[in-house]
Amino acid sequence: MQGSGVTLLPGPQWGVVAEDVYPDWEAIYHDNVHRIYRLMFAKVGNRPDAEDLTAEVFTAALRPLRVSSSVGQVRAYLLAVARTVLAGHWRRTLGREVTTLADEHVDLGSSEAEADATTAEPTTRAILDALPDNYRRILELRFLEACSTREAANAMGITVGNAKVLQHRALRRAAQLAEKATS
Amino acid sequence: MSGRGVRRYVEDLLNGQRPRRFPASAQDAAELRAAIELRAARPGDDGPRPEFVGSLHRRLSQSLAAPGPPPAARRIGRRGLAVGGLGIAAASAAVGVLADRALVGAAMGPEAAQPAEPLAPTSGEWRTVTSVTDLPEGAVQEFDAGPVAGFVERTQGAVTAVSAICTHQGCRLSLDPSARRLDCPCHATTFAVSGEVVSHHLPTAPAPLPRIATREVDGAVQVFVARV
Repeated sequence: MQGSGVTLLPGPQWGVVAEDVYPDWEAIYHDNVHRIYRLMFAKVGNRPDAEDLTAEVFTAALRPLRVSSSVGQVRAYLLAVARTVLAGHWRRTLGREVTTLADEHVDLGSSEAEADATTAEPTTRAILDALPDNYRRILELRFLEACSTREAANAMGITVGNAKVLQHRALRRAAQLAEKATS
Repeated sequence: MSGRGVRRYVEDLLNGQRPRRFPASAQDAAELRAAIELRAARPGDDGPRPEFVGSLHRRLSQSLAAPGPPPAARRIGRRGLAVGGLGIAAASAAVGVLADRALVGAAMGPEAAQPAEPLAPTSGEWRTVTSVTDLPEGAVQEFDAGPVAGFVERTQGAVTAVSAICTHQGCRLSLDPSARRLDCPCHATTFAVSGEVVSHHLPTAPAPLPRIATREVDGAVQVFVARV
């Protein structure tokens, strides 16, 4: 469980970071806002929360930043702030830490495009593939293809009621598989 | 009724709405984790909206322009840690930034309402924001004075001013003149014109609004703001 303790220094990674520095806070913002938003979106799955948490990260982070160091250090700092902001979000909303940024690592020296490559996709695919066909199908239709319950039900030739039950059971099974995979 | 909160949360996720909170069990959390990962794996829409990027930029810009210690720095100060050095707000010509490790930890702590201390920029100037005659007893006026936006009011003869930037996430407050309240458009927090929080829907109360030093000179009402 990630608590309030923050590990800021990622250690060896600092050594590989380019010596570049940001000229001002706006450069920090523009270079990092997309990255932080995507990290948050991957961890909360919805735009309103992802926007609020991104705002919270920058609001908390920018003021205390002090004159001196490199792009990599700033990114590590923003990530540290993001971790704690996300942990606080779960504490406030569900009382449990649903997702964390604890294991996330950002390649501090890389370009934004590289750092943005999502890490969720391979595991998600593996879990979907391990599900029974109808479970996989309902989750794909609803989550990946953005179908409404009715559209998904029509596509599968089942009633809306059945589609709801199927989705619930499929999600429960997917959660079990994911837990097994990480334990 | 286990499962109901999860189902509603998942439907909110799929509808692109802010999911509604509920006390989650360990199993609920596992299902939501799966749902979030599935939703986040949807191809396409994972970047921020340009409007969001722009509006957050504006909010940060206003917030950083306001002088004085932010809530985080005040918390640091209370802990007796060094805050010295140039903050981003002051360092417009900064050659780079380093986060003080102690500051990171402090920025995370729960918001605690601190008594608002008048802001006293070390390098500042007095700016006229209105005239004495335009600020009779009980009046409140909004002002933009260079880097600082605020509200100035006269109560029992004395003129006081507070920042117009919400201490939660930096949104610009608007004046409700009839209620003499300052409303935050972002999270529905309301402040008294003296800066105290009147009502909020946040998990912990945001800090009161920073006060801005004021004076009356030659028929003018002035505020003391940082020179930029």
